[in-house]
Amino acid sequence: MDEDVHYELYGEYVSLRELGVSTLICTAFAMLFYFAAPAVAEALDLQVTGISITLGAAGAALGFAVSMLVTKVKRVVVEV
Amino acid sequence: MDPLTVLLVVALSALSTILYIFIGILPGTDETATMAPVALTLLLAGVDPLLVLVWFTASIAAFKMADSIPVALAGIPGGVMAVPQVPDALTAKEHGLADTILRKGIASSVVGQFVALAVCLSLSYYLMPAGEWLRTADEVLGVKVARWFWLILAGLLVLALMSRSRVAALATIPSFALLVQGLRGVYGRPVFISLFLGITIGPMLFELLSMLHRDLRQAYARRGAKEVRLLRVGRISLNPLRILDREELAHSALWSAATSVLAAVMSPVGLTILIGDLIRGSVRDRVRGAVLAYTVRDAIKNATYIGGILIPLLVIGVPTGPMAAGPAAPFFHKLESLGATPRDYIVSRYDYPTIAVALLAATAIAFLVAYPILVRYSRRLTVAVFRRVPAEALYGLFIAIVIMLSYYDAKVAGIFGTLVVSLVSGALWRLGVSLGVLFMALVAAPTLVALLTALPL
Repeated sequence: MDEDVHYELYGEYVSLRELGVSTLICTAFAMLFYFAAPAVAEALDLQVTGISITLGAAGAALGFAVSMLVTKVKRVVVEV
Repeated sequence: MDPLTVLLVVALSALSTILYIFIGILPGTDETATMAPVALTLLLAGVDPLLVLVWFTASIAAFKMADSIPVALAGIPGGVMAVPQVPDALTAKEHGLADTILRKGIASSVVGQFVALAVCLSLSYYLMPAGEWLRTADEVLGVKVARWFWLILAGLLVLALMSRSRVAALATIPSFALLVQGLRGVYGRPVFISLFLGITIGPMLFELLSMLHRDLRQAYARRGAKEVRLLRVGRISLNPLRILDREELAHSALWSAATSVLAAVMSPVGLTILIGDLIRGSVRDRVRGAVLAYTVRDAIKNATYIGGILIPLLVIGVPTGPMAAGPAAPFFHKLESLGATPRDYIVSRYDYPTIAVALLAATAIAFLVAYPILVRYSRRLTVAVFRRVPAEALYGLFIAIVIMLSYYDAKVAGIFGTLVVSLVSGALWRLGVSLGVLFMALVAAPTLVALLTALPL
């Protein structure tokens, strides 16, 4: 695939490969944290439902931070 | 309110404001896709629904203030609601007025949200007794139908008639309701979250899957990086009263009051377009008309979002308009952990003055945080966000949250159910059907399908 060709999605230029990698990373972290919730809830004596969503969201956010390192910005800002 | 709750109101409002300034500036961040999942996650995580409402109110203030900043600086909307402002901004920019519309937009957002809060909180207080009447059910064709259903149906029809493709939108209402009820039948329970999220990410997923098709892909192909041209702005006064002139202030306040009430059943985007275009067309000077329309549209954006959630939440009890059925939908659906809807929890557990004070405080804190940041640093923030946040990472985050919540709702079947709903929603959206029609059809689906199947035809 031509590295210089991107695709316009919602007004943004994206690389399908990078989008796939980023989605995979965020989903993997989210589900990993989600499934770890029962063990965490038991250790902290908390309700599983609440903590599973919280941990899943935290995992997704961590995935976002990691994704920022492995994806490149495809905007060139020209100050006029 | 105890001291801990007060502290949480302040902390959550400030945190939500900072988060949604960035989300608002980012291009392509749809309101429903970014506001609803976060509110839903907080509710499912066990945060008190009033505090989530506080978070949500602050996010409206920050998001609607920030999403027009890239419009003023680069002609790129930060969210769906900022799209109607693009033509006004382009006219103003042609005449070197980028910093003028930037500061007027920020100031009129403050006016819009406070006027809408004052109007909707006062009106809701007097209309609250009508809520009981609206929730009463009558028997129609042997089906128990709550009176609010007719309000939703009327809103649905108005919204369908305002869609780009009226016939498709009207035909979609019963068809989409059948799809939703069919999936619920397969799951064996009345799920909401995965179906709702399916509609939310529908347009994005449809475009994304279209890109995987070899023939369709070429239409989306672009070479190199996207060039974003940012205009320079001058120093802006921190005093909002020096930013808006009398005419702008009067129009912003008047239309905010009117549209906040109308948004209980009408589309916020539709109202922003309609009123802005009316104002623009009524002024002879083209540039003056563009600046006035841009300013008033910014006020209307905040006002319609506030009215769109508050009136259904405090008076009706069900999501009767596209805003309540879209970004604010998590407040209207039963949570197992609460044993009630967050809306019912809020109105039964807290008295009216507490709710009103919490929402006014959230708005005041949001503007105290957002206003100076945006007035002073909007350009620097925009440059930083445009240069540092890759779109792929952000879209990956949204998709991951949708997958997790769909799994939470109905396990693996929930993920595929979301995929079906999102593909249908995306295709309908491409055909010109407003997503608001789908959100409201989702709410009306149980009664609508019951009535359809009871028809003696």
